[in-house]
This record gives sequence, C-alpha cells and structure tokens, in this order.
Amino acid sequence: MTRLSNVWSRLFRSYSIGLAVLIVIAVLAFLTPDFLRVDNLLNVLANASIVGIVGLGMTLAIASGMFDLSVGATAAFAGCIAMSLVPDYGILLGVIGGLIAGAVVGLSNGVIITELRVPAFIATMAMMTIVRGITLIYTDGKDLYLYGNPAYKVLTRRLFDTVPMPVIIVLALLAILSLVVTQTRFGRHVLAVGSNLPAAKRSGVRTSLVIWGVFTIVGVTAAMTGMIVSAQVLTANARLNFGLELQAIAVVVIGGTALTGGRVNLVGTLLGAVLVAAINNGLNLLNVPIFYQEVTVGVLLLAALAINVGHGFNPLTYLRRQS
Amino acid sequence: MTALSTTKAKLIPSTLDWDVMWERYGITAVLLGVWAVAAVTTPNFATTDNFLNVLRQGSFVGVAAIGMTIAIISGTFDLSVGTALALVAWLTLWVGGHAGIPAALAVGVGAGVLMGIINGLLVTRVRIPAFVATLGMYYVIRGFSFIISKNAPATFRAPSFTWLGNGSVGFLPVPFIVLIVCALIGAAVLRYTAFGRYVYAQGSNSVAAMVAGVPLQSVTIMVFVVIGLFNSIAAILVGSRLYSTTPGLEPGFELRVIATVVLGGTRLSGGRGSMLGTVSAALLFATLSNVLNLLHADPFLQRVVEGLVLLVALSIEGIRQRIAERVSRTKEVPIEK
Repeated sequence: MTRLSNVWSRLFRSYSIGLAVLIVIAVLAFLTPDFLRVDNLLNVLANASIVGIVGLGMTLAIASGMFDLSVGATAAFAGCIAMSLVPDYGILLGVIGGLIAGAVVGLSNGVIITELRVPAFIATMAMMTIVRGITLIYTDGKDLYLYGNPAYKVLTRRLFDTVPMPVIIVLALLAILSLVVTQTRFGRHVLAVGSNLPAAKRSGVRTSLVIWGVFTIVGVTAAMTGMIVSAQVLTANARLNFGLELQAIAVVVIGGTALTGGRVNLVGTLLGAVLVAAINNGLNLLNVPIFYQEVTVGVLLLAALAINVGHGFNPLTYLRRQS
Repeated sequence: MTALSTTKAKLIPSTLDWDVMWERYGITAVLLGVWAVAAVTTPNFATTDNFLNVLRQGSFVGVAAIGMTIAIISGTFDLSVGTALALVAWLTLWVGGHAGIPAALAVGVGAGVLMGIINGLLVTRVRIPAFVATLGMYYVIRGFSFIISKNAPATFRAPSFTWLGNGSVGFLPVPFIVLIVCALIGAAVLRYTAFGRYVYAQGSNSVAAMVAGVPLQSVTIMVFVVIGLFNSIAAILVGSRLYSTTPGLEPGFELRVIATVVLGGTRLSGGRGSMLGTVSAALLFATLSNVLNLLHADPFLQRVVEGLVLLVALSIEGIRQRIAERVSRTKEVPIEK
C-alpha cells in the first residue's frame, strides 16, 4: 500500500469500505437473485440502521478517544422505560421518556469519567452492570408487552409504504451529527479532546463539558436503537440488546474510524453497518447456519484493520518518525 | 537488604508510603474488613461450609483473572476470554466423554494456548490493536464453537473429573487450591523471571522498553499464551463444576474478569498490578454476592451492587488525585482512556 502515491492511498483508505460494500452486494446478487429484491434491500437497510444509529453515537465517543460499553444496557433500559410509559401517556411522551433515560445514563457516564476520574472503559463497564440491574429491578425481571397498541409501531413503520422509519432516523441523525462535527465548536473540541486531551485542556477547551456532551449523545443514540428494537417486536425486557456494545464498536472500526481518537468517519460507520447487515442477510438467504454470521463479523473486523495497517500504536514506526 | 530499605525510607516521604501500602494491600484489607463485618452481621456467613463455598465460587473467575492481570500489566488485554472459556469447557467435556480425562485436559489446554498464539500473532504481526484483534476473535471463537457443537450440550460425568470443580482436598475446595497455586506461579513469574520484568517494562513505557532491548513482540505473544493457559485452566474447572455445558456458557465473562483485575488495583494503563490484589478482588466479588444471597436481597440488586463497588473502588484513586492537585495546583493528571 505504501508504494501507492499519497493521494491514491488516501483515496483507497477513504473508499475501501464503500468498495467492500459494492463487492459484497455484487457477489450476493450473483449468488442469490432474491438479494436484489427491493423488499429485501430495504430490510438490509433497516437492519443496518438499527446498529447504525448507536454506531454513530459510538463513532463520536471513539473520536473523542473513549469507549462506551454501556450502550447495550442503556438501550434495554430506554426500551423498557418507553414501553412502560406508552400505554398510559401515549407514544410521544413514551419516546421522550426513553430518550431522557438514555441521556441521563450517558450524562452519568460522562460525569463519572471527568469528576471521579474513572477510566471510560471501566466507568462504562460498571454502568453496564448497574443499568442492567436497575432495568431488571424496574421490570421485575419480566417481559413488557404492548399487544393491541400499534401506535408504538410508528418507530418501525414504512414511510410512504417504502422507506423504513429507522432508515430515515439514521439519515437524519447522520446529517445532524455531520453538521455538528464539521460546523460547530463542540465538534472541533471533540476531535481536539480525542487527539490530545491535556493539550486541548491547556488551550482552553472545557474538556469536561465536551466529554459530558459526547456521552449524552451516545446515550441518546443507544436509547433510539433500544426503542426501535423493542418496537419491532412490541416486547421489551432487561436482556434486550445483549452484546450491542461490541457490535456498535465493531461497525465503527469496520467503518474506518481510528481507535486512537481524533478522527471521525460517520459515513464509514453507516457503510460498516450496511456491510455487516448485507452479509448477514445474504448468509440467511443462502441458508447458511446463523453461527457463521458471528465468524463473518469477526473476520471482517480483523480484515478491516489488517488492511489499514498502522492504525495501532507501534513503537518502531514511532521511533523512526522521531529520529 | 536492610541498607536498601533504609535508603528507600529516606528517599520517599512518609505520605507516599501510605499510597504504596494502599495500592498493594488496600483491596486485601477491604476483603478482610468485609469478612469481619459479614461474620458479625450476616447470619450463617461465618459457618465453615459457607465460607469454603465463597472460596470455591471466587476461584473460577480468579484463575482466569491471573492471566489477565499479567496481560493488563503489560499494557494489553483480551476480550476473547469469555467465548474462549465456553469453547474450551465444551471441548474438554466432549473429548472427555469420547477419549478420557488425559486427552480432555490436553485438548482443553492446547486449544486455549492455540487461541492465545493466534491473538498474539494478530496483535504483533498483523499489527491490529489488541482491543479490536481480541474483539474479532471473540466473534470468530463464538461462531466456531457454535458451528462445531451445533449448539448441543456436551456432558462428562466421570467422578474423577467432576472432582476438579466440586471436590475438596481435606477441607479446602480444589478450585481454590488451583487458584492459589496459579497465583503463586503468576507472582513468581512476574517477580523472578526476565519475562516478568519485561511485562512490567513494556507496560510502563513500551518505547523505553524497546530501546532498552526488550523483545516487545515475543513478550506480547507470550502474554497472550499465558492468558490462554490460565483461561483454559479456568474453563476446565468451570466445565468440571457444571459437567454439562453449551457454547453459550457465561456471557459477559470477559468483562467480569477485567473488572476483577481492575478492582484488584491493576492499572488499565499498564505497568502496575499484583496477584494478591487480583485474588482478593475475585474473593471480594464472590463474598458480596454470597452475603447478598444470605440476606435474601433482590437478586437483581446484586448486579447493581457489583457495578457500584467497582465504581467506588476506582473513584477513590481519582478523588485522591483531585485533592492532591488542589493542594499542589501544579500537577496535572490526564484522564485515562
């Protein structure tokens, strides 16, 4: 890769994920004609959007140099809160309640990280356990159902009978977050915190506020994903979205955002989500046992980083650059 | 020896001694304190049977945490231990049922070490950051174990095998003896071998370690092999304890192991940590869940308490830093990832 000129290698890096999506679609279209049916493609997009929404939030967290391992628990918590509010207070207040629940968890993460100085990895890991526990207590360990109340289905309904709602939500979110990252002071500060936190602090960035903001956004996106998943099946319980945190990190990494922080690739994250969803869908259509999907995600993750060698910190290249 | 310790006492002000003492023995002191309080306040806690049960329950995560402690000290870590545990436990039981105990143990440990080597090569040769490499392996291993098992449980009930997880020598539970032996080996390796010193050196400052001639890549591969080794021992104990497992065993095990190591005082940023802390933390988690059970607490509350304990334990360090900063106003400590 280093033989390519600078421009080409940069182009390759920016578009390798898009290229991968195109290749996968071509191969799947060749293997199974059903894949290209509009209905099926919309399904793929809907599934991609669900992980994509929380993936967009996680992209910001990783760009600021941190992780959030609590998103799965937050999604379940928000899903349960919304589902329990909808029967009495209606769909609007239910959704707002879910979003507030997500924001509260996210903000708590941020405060614990900056004020108690607990590393983000541990703070959000502890929050994962705590929030799952609180959700179990809140639901008494039972399932919440919403039979006979189709209003909540608005989150998964198809607009004009074609475009699934999650796709619209994820595109709107992409537009908003892209504007935030490129056009606002907050966005620049997020990247500054991600590339060098002490330096950002010395140059007057209010790093604590930035970190609170980032984690609140992550919490809200997790809540959106949680509510959409529970709306799909009209059921919510405390075990909902188990393992979502690792899935979300996986699509961000496959999408090309560096784990070292300071850089952001929101479109890449969505393409990563589409790639994973397309492959899983294709394997389903080809009647491949579901277990192979996990292997695929793992191999994709390894391949994505094996291609972009040098993402990781390597003392050898570091020294070479110094001398 | 005495000369060395006196110079040390002169060089380091007395306030710092408390810091060092807290870092080394804090969690052990907390464990002993919790035991004392529980013995007085919780009915049936201080009975021999119950106490030995706590020791047994804490040992399974504890053994896996030994390898993870070495990894985190060296500045890396492994997210694939949970699915690796499930795979090794399943393989051990399956092979045991078909080919007997020696073959089962050999295959179990072999599989664990092999996965460690793969992780190590991904991190060093393919240069994928450990977080993502082991996350990828998490999925690959889980998919693989569902594929080979077809999601069917494996069962192996030979009494001499189930003794490993359920038996006792004298009055001590076998898993606890294994934990102590593993911890002693781990501590000895860290303290008395070149590999152990390399682990600390690499974790404190990998660039400096490389300049000083530490073979970073070999050390990293070795670290992952060590994780695989201890993790497969833990898996064999869990398999023997349950004598029937599916590949879906113990979801979230990796995070429990990391939580134990971190609660034991090992820093995620590398370079510091001890086996005593890890063992104490494993027993502390087991004690808390046992006490909550005895008090008939809501089982869901246990998870909340577990998380809160972790947060409180790690906030103490941060709050102390803040106080120190307010006093000096010069030191600035960056937030860790």
